[in-house]
Amino acid sequence: MNLKEIRENIDLLDSKILRLLNHRMELALMAKRLKPQIEDRERERELLDRIGGNWKGLINAELIERIYIEIINESKNLQQKDNKLIAFQGEHGAYSEVASRKWNSDLIPVPCSGFAEIFEGVTSGLYDYGIVPVENTLGGSVDQVNRLLINTDLNVVGAVELLIHHCLLTLPGTDYREVSAVYSHPQALAQCRYFLARNKLKPVQHYNTAGAARMLAEKKLKGSAAIGSRLSAQLYNLEIIKEDIEDLDRNVTRFLVLSKEENREEGDKCSVIFSTEHKAGTLFRVLEVFARKNINLTRIESIPNEPGSYAFFLDFMGSNKDDKVVKALEEAEEITTDFKLMGCYKERKVV
Amino acid sequence: MKNLKLTSLNGGDNKRTVVTVGKVKIGEDFVVIAGPCSVESEEQTIRTAHKVKEAGADMLRGGAFKPRTSPYDFQGLGLKGLKILEKAKKETGLPVVTEVTDPRDVSWVCEYADVLQIGTRNMQNFSLLKEVGKIDKPVLLKRGIYSTLQEWLNCAEYVLAGGNPKVILCERGIRTFETYTRNTLDLGIVPSVKEVSHLPIIVDPSHGTGRLSIIEPMSLAAMAAGADGILIEVHCNPCKALCDKDQAMPPDMFAGLMKKLQALRSCMNEINQDKKNRPSRYSETP
Repeated sequence: MNLKEIRENIDLLDSKILRLLNHRMELALMAKRLKPQIEDRERERELLDRIGGNWKGLINAELIERIYIEIINESKNLQQKDNKLIAFQGEHGAYSEVASRKWNSDLIPVPCSGFAEIFEGVTSGLYDYGIVPVENTLGGSVDQVNRLLINTDLNVVGAVELLIHHCLLTLPGTDYREVSAVYSHPQALAQCRYFLARNKLKPVQHYNTAGAARMLAEKKLKGSAAIGSRLSAQLYNLEIIKEDIEDLDRNVTRFLVLSKEENREEGDKCSVIFSTEHKAGTLFRVLEVFARKNINLTRIESIPNEPGSYAFFLDFMGSNKDDKVVKALEEAEEITTDFKLMGCYKERKVV
Repeated sequence: MKNLKLTSLNGGDNKRTVVTVGKVKIGEDFVVIAGPCSVESEEQTIRTAHKVKEAGADMLRGGAFKPRTSPYDFQGLGLKGLKILEKAKKETGLPVVTEVTDPRDVSWVCEYADVLQIGTRNMQNFSLLKEVGKIDKPVLLKRGIYSTLQEWLNCAEYVLAGGNPKVILCERGIRTFETYTRNTLDLGIVPSVKEVSHLPIIVDPSHGTGRLSIIEPMSLAAMAAGADGILIEVHCNPCKALCDKDQAMPPDMFAGLMKKLQALRSCMNEINQDKKNRPSRYSETP
């Protein structure tokens, strides 16, 4: 290794250390939700003993203890603040995180490995909010999320329509002529198919867009690129070769924000879920209620519940403070089963 | 002329080519392409872009890859320059013309630019010509510094034969014994091209003369000769230009030129109206 290579490795480690520290702070904020008070002397002592005890590396035990006391102090500082957490699926830099930041930049986005984990975490109080994608203009509805929505007691408190802009990312200093393989989630690769073909780039599937960006940065893959968000370029210190590489400019993902609390602010959109009896015209009669009151429906989705039985999602424009809407909800409830207003909220469009 | 199957006019049988870029129709309107010789910085490019747009230019030019006589001269910003041009386009709405020098860059330059320029030194770079023959963006083909009309049209033929009909020719001066001007701007080539080919032709008086004081009269002369447009180098601060500063026009002078061009255009329209009434061997079929 020459000096330049050594320094590149050091830079890479530093950015890893920062990300790991950030992850540790996120865990500390989650731990706060589950312990009676912030201060826990016994746990701190145990932690310091364990870390210093068996260590045989270059750093001496005293320094390790000093570093860790600083880290613990900062964790406690953060725990004292009234931070609100919002869980998203994927890794840092995911489009769900972009959407959560657009919805409310004061919240702390925390990555979760799966959608079920988000629903469980918000229900148990580990997170204040969860943000989940429900549909995409190109990919269709997100089945897994819809299934979880049927059985949850959580409220919908917000929605974000995010115009997805993909970027081609490489390690800084990469010559774009050397790029041959491009890593990303199959959906992102499909959405940039013509761009890849025009520039003779080979798509390589990865489980996650932000994960592909992180892998590129950590493995220092020469001759490779990733497709991901602008945010992931910032987080993983990658260079954006080209922005807006998606083939169509109508690539929109809609996200719902979930919480245990109900939305207290005035909303302009409502989401309901219901089932109907297995008889002729039952769904028609529900839709008729909204039609007669001139309420504009924005989404209808049916999810098979058990054989022959469906749950219906209905979104419409209007506020649950409006008499017309209140009436419609009452009438619809009478002629359906398992009717539930999931929430009334403000929809945000982000371009 | 022999073997010009696709570029020749065939005695007026072929329709004249009109190349559309955004709202601009090259071959129908008189187009003005203006901007810095090279993209030096974001600030310089975007400032110049706003100035030329205000004065009424139709398109922005700017080089990201600069083929320079000396390897020690500024070689251009490359990809960074392309990103700056894209930003300038977003801010001003002006379509972008930029030079491509390497076949490996063609697809990438297409991602950022609206028109790809083949420079004078690359006119007979046949592998590059074949590559731009495969794309569906217009190609601005400059005349080689020592090239005859026949050689030049043969190069255009390469692009057309490759499958890309959107070629714009650009006269930029040729080398003669004259040394007062950087090159000798051959305006006789404009009506000559019109006689033998259906392709649109524009004129670059900045390189053609290399002298700021001569650019304006030659721009007007180009219009009078029947050119479909001009390509002018404008720099927001000419004495600081990293490339070709002796021919870089300051924005106020460019705005003055645009006014004169407008006045001359109405004159030309009148004259041409008169000409249309007379039968001509090369008159277009309506």
